[in-house]
Amino acid sequence: MSGFSRRDFLMTTAGAALASGFVGSSSAATGTPKRGGTLVGTWGGFEPQSLFVPAGGGSSPYFTSTKVFERLLRLTVDLKFEPVLALDIKPAEDFRSYTIKLRPNVTWHDGKPLTAEDLVFNAMEYWKPISAGVTLDALEGAEAVDPLTVVLKFKVPVPEFFLKSVLAGKAGLVIPKHIYAGSNIITNPVNNTPIGTGPFKVKEWVRGSHVEFARHDGYWNAGLPYVDKLVIRWWRDPASRSAAFEAGQLDIGTFNPIPAPDIARLTGTKKFVAETKGYSNSAWITSVEFNQRREIFKKREVRQALLHAIDRSFISDTIFFGRAHPSIGAIPSSNSIFFTKDVQDYPFDVKKAAKLLDAAGYPVKSGSRFKMSLVSAGWFEENVKIGQYLKQAFEDVDITVELAIPDRATSLKRIYSDYEYDVAVSNNSGSIELIPATTQYYTTDGIVKGAAFRNATGYSNPKMDEIVGKMAIETDEKKRVSLVHEFDKLAAIDAPILPMVDLEPVTIARADVRNHSLTADFMGESWAEVWLDR
Amino acid sequence: MRRIIIRRLVQIIPLIFAVIVMNFVLIHLAPGSLFDVMTSEQQITDPAMLDQLRHTYGVDQPVTVQLAKYIWSVMRLDLGYSYRQNAPVFDVIMQQLPATLILMLAAIGIALLVGVTAGVMASIKVNTIWDNLISLGAVFFFAAPSFWLGIMMTVMFAVKLGWFPVGGMRTIGVDESAIGAVLDVMHHLVLPATALGLFYAATFARVMRASMLEVARLDFVRTARAKGLSGGRVVLAHVMRNAMLPIVTLLGLQLGTMLGGSVVIEAVFSWPGIGSLLFDSVMSRNFPMVLGVLILGSLLVAVCNATVDLLYLRLDPRIKAR
Repeated sequence: MSGFSRRDFLMTTAGAALASGFVGSSSAATGTPKRGGTLVGTWGGFEPQSLFVPAGGGSSPYFTSTKVFERLLRLTVDLKFEPVLALDIKPAEDFRSYTIKLRPNVTWHDGKPLTAEDLVFNAMEYWKPISAGVTLDALEGAEAVDPLTVVLKFKVPVPEFFLKSVLAGKAGLVIPKHIYAGSNIITNPVNNTPIGTGPFKVKEWVRGSHVEFARHDGYWNAGLPYVDKLVIRWWRDPASRSAAFEAGQLDIGTFNPIPAPDIARLTGTKKFVAETKGYSNSAWITSVEFNQRREIFKKREVRQALLHAIDRSFISDTIFFGRAHPSIGAIPSSNSIFFTKDVQDYPFDVKKAAKLLDAAGYPVKSGSRFKMSLVSAGWFEENVKIGQYLKQAFEDVDITVELAIPDRATSLKRIYSDYEYDVAVSNNSGSIELIPATTQYYTTDGIVKGAAFRNATGYSNPKMDEIVGKMAIETDEKKRVSLVHEFDKLAAIDAPILPMVDLEPVTIARADVRNHSLTADFMGESWAEVWLDR
Repeated sequence: MRRIIIRRLVQIIPLIFAVIVMNFVLIHLAPGSLFDVMTSEQQITDPAMLDQLRHTYGVDQPVTVQLAKYIWSVMRLDLGYSYRQNAPVFDVIMQQLPATLILMLAAIGIALLVGVTAGVMASIKVNTIWDNLISLGAVFFFAAPSFWLGIMMTVMFAVKLGWFPVGGMRTIGVDESAIGAVLDVMHHLVLPATALGLFYAATFARVMRASMLEVARLDFVRTARAKGLSGGRVVLAHVMRNAMLPIVTLLGLQLGTMLGGSVVIEAVFSWPGIGSLLFDSVMSRNFPMVLGVLILGSLLVAVCNATVDLLYLRLDPRIKAR
């Protein structure tokens, strides 16, 4: 947690408040930016169901909508907040209200100005009920003080880093009031041709192929975006993406666009670079969950024994071709603010696992200790292999394993609706701020039947709830960090669910694509500053 | 002629009905629902919000009521609304169906041209090296998975040689005249249509060869030769025309599988067709979209089969419309 202090993040928004442009700080930002050209981008997944899905909708609509919509703030790769649509966000003394100063002269793509009324609408009609949900439970009201100033009021003290994370996060997109007011935001057909304040306007979406964005000439950050046209294209097949890179028809792809063995081949030509920066605020993990509703897995010793039976290095090196590393505790190591090594660890040790299982009261009887139903969510190709590996690993400690690798819809149902599993393999992507994306896997109020990517294990520990409850309202960042460490320690010891490996997603780009991967969640950034050196 | 068309059209109605009921039941038997997928993707947990969405999606009603409502709306030629795409089902499908049709027609064209030619060649040069080579090729293209063939062709002709684009249907970001656009689409079409067509060409070649050899032994062929017709004319006008009948039958049967086979090819070549839409909709249990695609797909296959029936009449006047 080096280099982080309360002063740091208080200063960053205020200090950069008057800067009209973003400050590039990565090594990728060399040379004088050139204007013009068409940037063709993709990601390692499929076409979105709609260009903008107000309630979230996964990575694909997030990727497309963030080129059109902007947020108040953004988080850089070195985890500092930078102003985007807000010039300044200041908490009151008691942290129960925040004053937001909007950037002047920002216009929507249809020419209307962005005002405080838009922001009030977003806070109360969009963020709180739809995009952020429980995250902004404490938000009580929003009030426009003048055309460019809004005050957000909260029921309880709200930590500054937490609020800024929400505003800079997936839920914080700012949508136009004059388009959405009075309609059902979720089903509004305009979501297929969204109108925002961002650097790019939707020009044409050819379903099944690509979406073309044109430069927004009235963009508030004069001179940006650097490229004239942005095309986001989708391929359903990773090998086809490699071919498109090699044929010069694709410039940049985020989130593992190509098969892992192709990465070395492509970067070996020096025509392409592989970049791992730009994922820390959306850090993916592969986790193992133990269903506490089942007698055997309710025993902490059993869970710990099973964790010792897993060779995490094998998973990261062989299954992920080195594009992952073993996790420590519940927090990804890329989270330089909250990560700690000082937690219970589970090194691979079959003998110890067997001993712990014996001690827990499950000795080997006629060849088997007990039977386990293992569900590995089949939405990632790697999960298929992880499921097969875990079956072997658990069989090595004499457990009979019944493996199922269902498709997406079935996995969601079995793990998060019906709780029909003993041990499950799942994934999630968490932000730097741990509330609620990470904590809701461990808290009692995270148990919501049918709601995915939450506490599906049924784990409930009053001590844990208490720590997370304190984390939610602790406004002193130093104390908050130590609360998080307490949380992490308890999570690691109780181990209802723990990440096995932290994924290291990679962005592949042509060497002449500049200024990319400068923010903590590059895929969800506007890409205004990306330029082509050709 | 008209009777056959009318009879075919009337037969489509129970067919569509069966398609709806069967697929509706199937997709509801699969674990997980559109509602689960949508709410989990959108991370909605608020019970009030969940109830509101249940009502919006119409899943708060019993399944039988949902089915009856769906059939009623299809009878009024309304395929429903897809909340996943936030657009009417028909509109979404119509954006992607033309691409699949173009790909299918081109693939059929290639399959017929290559398959029939190869079959005729093999039968003329029966039991020579040419016959063996064609048989070998047919076995190869029949056995090679079409996605593998597609990737190999991409690597060879698009990446290494640069003759064709890697994928897609149009060059993006270029404004062209109408003729330019047609040529552009054709340029993009070559690889996917070939990859898809060669599989069917392989079957056509084998069937055509066998059929040609059989017909060539018949009496009327001997008569044709006896009355002094040239070898080429005998082969083309007498043998081939009669040998085409099994090919036409096969074609009618394979139109349906071709619609399915195009899903894979569309994925490899990122062809903006119906395949990815169908795949995605099945995975997300988006039943209005799945049913919409299947209804239009079965309509398409039914129309194609009716066309094949008409082709029979043309090829063999002995078959009469009864």
